[in-house]
Amino acid sequence: MPETKRKHRDETNHRRGHSKPNKNARKKKKTGPRLPSSLQKELDRLNPTTSIEIDQDIDSADGDAAERELLPQDFYEYEEQHAEEESKKNKRYDPGSVDQLQYDLPIERSDESEDEIIQSDDDNVDDDDDGMERTGDAADGDSSEEGDGRHTRMLQGITGMPSEAFEGKKKRKMKDDVIPELYPESEYNPSRDVVDGDGQISIDDLLNPLQDNPGFGKLRKRIQQIENNSKAIHAPLRTADQAKVERKAAYEISKKEVTKWQQIIQRNREAPTLLFDENIDLGFSTVGAIASEFEPRTEFERKMAALVSDDKVMEAYKKDAYDAWQVSVEEEKDRQSRIAKMRSLLFRHEMKAKRIKKIKSKTYHRLLKKDRLKTEYSNIQMDPEAAKEFVMKQERLRAEERMTLRHKNQNLWAKRILTRGLNSQDEGTRAAIADQLQRHAELTRKMHSMKDSSSSSDDSSDGDDEDAGSDQEMGSKVVGKAIEKTMKVIQDDHETPKSGLLSLPFMRRGLEKSKKAAVEEANLALQEYKDSKKKLENSVGSEGPEATSISGRRVFGASKTQISDAGDKVKSDYNYGSSDSEDDLRASKNGNIETQGSNVLQKDVNTDAVLIQEDTDNHQESVFKDFNEIVKNPGPKTTYEVSLFVSDTWKKARNRDEKGTNVKKSAMPSGPVRQDIKDTEKEVEEDSDTDSEGQMVDGILTSGSKLSYELPSQEELIRQAFAGDDVEDEFEKDKMEILNVENPEPEKPVLLPGWGQWTHVQKKKGLPSWMLKEHENARKKREEAIKKRKDAQLKNVIISEKLDKKAEKLHTKALPFPFTSKEAFEQSMRVPIGPESNPATAIGPLNRPEVVKRPGVIIKPIQFEEVNPHEKAEQRRGDKHRSKKNKGSGGRSMKKTTA
Amino acid sequence: MELSNSTKNSVEPASVHVGKNAYLAVDHQWDSELFATAGAQVDIWNHNRSEPINSFQWGSDSVISVRFNPGEPNLLATSANDRSIMLYDLRMVSPVRKMIMMTKTNSIAWNAMEPINFTAANEDGNCYSYDARKLDEAKCVHRDHVSAVMDIDYSPTGREFVTGSYDRTVRLFYYNSGHSREIYHTKRMQRVFCVKFSGDGSYVISGSDDTNLRLWKAKASEQLGVVLPRERKKHEYHAAIKKRYMHLPEVKRIERHRHLPKPIYKAAALMRAMSDARKRKEERRKAHSAPGSVTTQPLRRQRIIKEVE
Repeated sequence: MPETKRKHRDETNHRRGHSKPNKNARKKKKTGPRLPSSLQKELDRLNPTTSIEIDQDIDSADGDAAERELLPQDFYEYEEQHAEEESKKNKRYDPGSVDQLQYDLPIERSDESEDEIIQSDDDNVDDDDDGMERTGDAADGDSSEEGDGRHTRMLQGITGMPSEAFEGKKKRKMKDDVIPELYPESEYNPSRDVVDGDGQISIDDLLNPLQDNPGFGKLRKRIQQIENNSKAIHAPLRTADQAKVERKAAYEISKKEVTKWQQIIQRNREAPTLLFDENIDLGFSTVGAIASEFEPRTEFERKMAALVSDDKVMEAYKKDAYDAWQVSVEEEKDRQSRIAKMRSLLFRHEMKAKRIKKIKSKTYHRLLKKDRLKTEYSNIQMDPEAAKEFVMKQERLRAEERMTLRHKNQNLWAKRILTRGLNSQDEGTRAAIADQLQRHAELTRKMHSMKDSSSSSDDSSDGDDEDAGSDQEMGSKVVGKAIEKTMKVIQDDHETPKSGLLSLPFMRRGLEKSKKAAVEEANLALQEYKDSKKKLENSVGSEGPEATSISGRRVFGASKTQISDAGDKVKSDYNYGSSDSEDDLRASKNGNIETQGSNVLQKDVNTDAVLIQEDTDNHQESVFKDFNEIVKNPGPKTTYEVSLFVSDTWKKARNRDEKGTNVKKSAMPSGPVRQDIKDTEKEVEEDSDTDSEGQMVDGILTSGSKLSYELPSQEELIRQAFAGDDVEDEFEKDKMEILNVENPEPEKPVLLPGWGQWTHVQKKKGLPSWMLKEHENARKKREEAIKKRKDAQLKNVIISEKLDKKAEKLHTKALPFPFTSKEAFEQSMRVPIGPESNPATAIGPLNRPEVVKRPGVIIKPIQFEEVNPHEKAEQRRGDKHRSKKNKGSGGRSMKKTTA
Repeated sequence: MELSNSTKNSVEPASVHVGKNAYLAVDHQWDSELFATAGAQVDIWNHNRSEPINSFQWGSDSVISVRFNPGEPNLLATSANDRSIMLYDLRMVSPVRKMIMMTKTNSIAWNAMEPINFTAANEDGNCYSYDARKLDEAKCVHRDHVSAVMDIDYSPTGREFVTGSYDRTVRLFYYNSGHSREIYHTKRMQRVFCVKFSGDGSYVISGSDDTNLRLWKAKASEQLGVVLPRERKKHEYHAAIKKRYMHLPEVKRIERHRHLPKPIYKAAALMRAMSDARKRKEERRKAHSAPGSVTTQPLRRQRIIKEVE
């Protein structure tokens, strides 16, 4: 609309206007190269279009926004811009440039802001109609225009000031009474009135001459409308400022745009795990999937495919397969139940075995072994097969023993012990050695017994006491035989082969060695036999029924070394006073059978002597006999040893009374032994070497005399039980020790001559006072520290206040980051996360890392999805948890952030 | 002239785009046809056009790095020689915001999982994580490098990023931690000028002055190859245990212990001493002047000069 309006106005101007071309001319006169006005006029007349072209040029050149803002304010401002115009003017004579301008015009127009272009547009349009007229007009209007120009020139000439000065005055004036209009009317030549300051041209003035024209009414109406709505246009901003404003707005917008991510980001940050490995299709994964894609290509493949895909063939095949595998329901059920039962049985058995295997208790295993032996034994009794097997096993064991001589002090340990000397070992070791030897003897001797007496009653091994009179007789016979045989063996052994492999020197050496061992063994056996024979005779001779109870301690299987070791010691004590028998004992140690035999004989003689002697205090005799029994049969237990020792001391005392009398009881009636135990106890206490020994004897004796012993009260019992050890004292001692370790007592100040003070002063005054003071302080400090201890008031408790520096490393000093309360932290630490203490379904979520991704799978950047901002965080978390659970159980529902 | 075999086999570019100035950086939009070049100005190109579809210039210094936001493809961040970081929005077809720091930013990386956040690798050896909406303060300052950080790239998981530095090391940081979790160095690796994360987030590639590209594992102790589920579970359990007891001093010490090249170790110690001294001095100054008269900016704000609209 405004465009058309302007057009109209322009039209009117042109119709009316004589001024425009003149104006152009004048302008050129002013600022261009100074052509005389007449010349200029001539030029205009010759080429009227050029002026128009120039106008257009100006317009196009003035497209600058900066100028635009100035233009509407001042008409004359425009005149200052003529430099450009002049440059164009120079070009004017260049025909090419003119052509170009003419050609370019419409294009340029489209880019330019409209208000200026319209002018030129009009010019173009009106060019043809008004061309001639205008030239005429221009000639007419010259006089007035020139007058105007002349006026300024005159002013210039008078004042000597540049024309701008006057223009500036005008400008200022114009600024004051400028009427803002839509259309800057810069082109129009100001009338003389304006120049003189009389007034200004109104639109009406311009319109009036157009009244006769046909479109006038319309035009006037428009102009009235414009006048009514006229407003001032503000100057556009500078480009820089404009850009700044634009950027600011853009930033606000993009900020808002970006903020939509906030929710998603927060959700992802709070999520315990980000999953990036979802919705991934890695192609065919199974053989079946790949096979399904197979397409036959070769001839053979095609044939195969035809067969495979043949319906008849497939049907037949399927039917066959069905028949082959068809099983009745009952059968299947039966089978399944059978398998299930089997499995459960196996499982239980396995569990039981596992449990039993884990048990570490020695007692349990001992009992188990005992149980096993018992059942074995009963089996042997019940089942001849088992008995046979057992015999075979025993046989085998014996054979092995004979071959290896494993228990014959052959192993490193035993050898070492022997080289060190058995006497210097502790009781346990001695007992162990004795035990071993005993076992050896058992294993080897049984062979004979088993061979000789086919009866399976193990008379010796367990020391069972079922020696009937007849048995003893039989036994003595057997033993006699055995002795003979052994002797024979010993003599036979002396033959050595003269040729063959065995004649080689090292073989011979080996043989000799083994022979020696065998001889030794034989000697041992011999001695044993003799012992047993003698005992048998003794028991047959005198003991009677009483002997059974005593022989409970008797062990047949005692080997030679055992006797020579343990027995030697005893005997040396035993014969304390009588030095005559000492030599014999030494001799027996050497392993000489003869001396050993004589020793035994001597013993027997001694016994006879005792028999003859008829002592008064029988009970003591009997007790002594009892001890002697023990001496004779040293078992593996340490208590025997102790009791022996005690008996020795006791004997010493006795021997003082009855000098030279060696005692051997066996014939004595041992009835009163038990009744008189108390007496012996007393005596022992009187002797009292040490407390513990006395008690030990006490223990043994009381245990043997339960029948006649009165039960003491509970208190008494406890007192007796703890008579030796003072628990309270011990505890206090312990506590003091710990106290001393944790709060060490300060060192006493030591007098070092010359330290702390001059020597002579020290000598006179003793320790320097500061040392004493320091010591005193340290002591006080310690006392206080002890008082402050947690267990200071607790009499029966020790609370250690020692800090473990290594353990300190495993404690935190402050709460780790996300935790705010100690309880929560401790709670979290208490929950185990390992597979040992969690079900398989829970381990996954517990141990899931923060980011789960799969190598080789490209992770795409985040994509927007709506997150309900009003949804509560907890709910969301719950959802997550649920979905995670689903995932754990195989479902893939969770979709977190990835595409 | 006949072409030899090798030249015949050589890869031909799919398209060539010619510009007026030398290019200092280039980056491509994720999943689209636009790419941006930086040099004297920032140009936005389309694959199918020979001329840039947009050109931006704000300030006269040359732009040295440009990075598209992977999550929000119309956002673009550049850093220029005038120590500035600029944001552009292609929807608004205009630059959006400029922020000037005390030292030059060599490179910029957007967090792929958090489109509002980006991290700038700075010449002062630190990396600064910014929220694009609040440029007056860094969200986090990632320190540890002892020389200028030359390049940075985010893992596609958005949980960590890798930096290459002029101090001849490559470091890996968590997106929200002030110090690195891992350092990579070799005797022969020289100044590192570019680093990149692989698309699956399990490898890191570094290019250095010794003309080598190096491929590193993003998790140094990770087992390569097929990991059976049971094995994986065991690894996960061990990792969880380690994480659980990370607060214990001994565990932390072992976990954090890294061998450093001597120069870096010494430089780090020196820098620490210097910063300690500075801090001490500041504290004393504060203590000896009227309350409130001496204020200190946090490090997050210290290095920012101004934000330009």
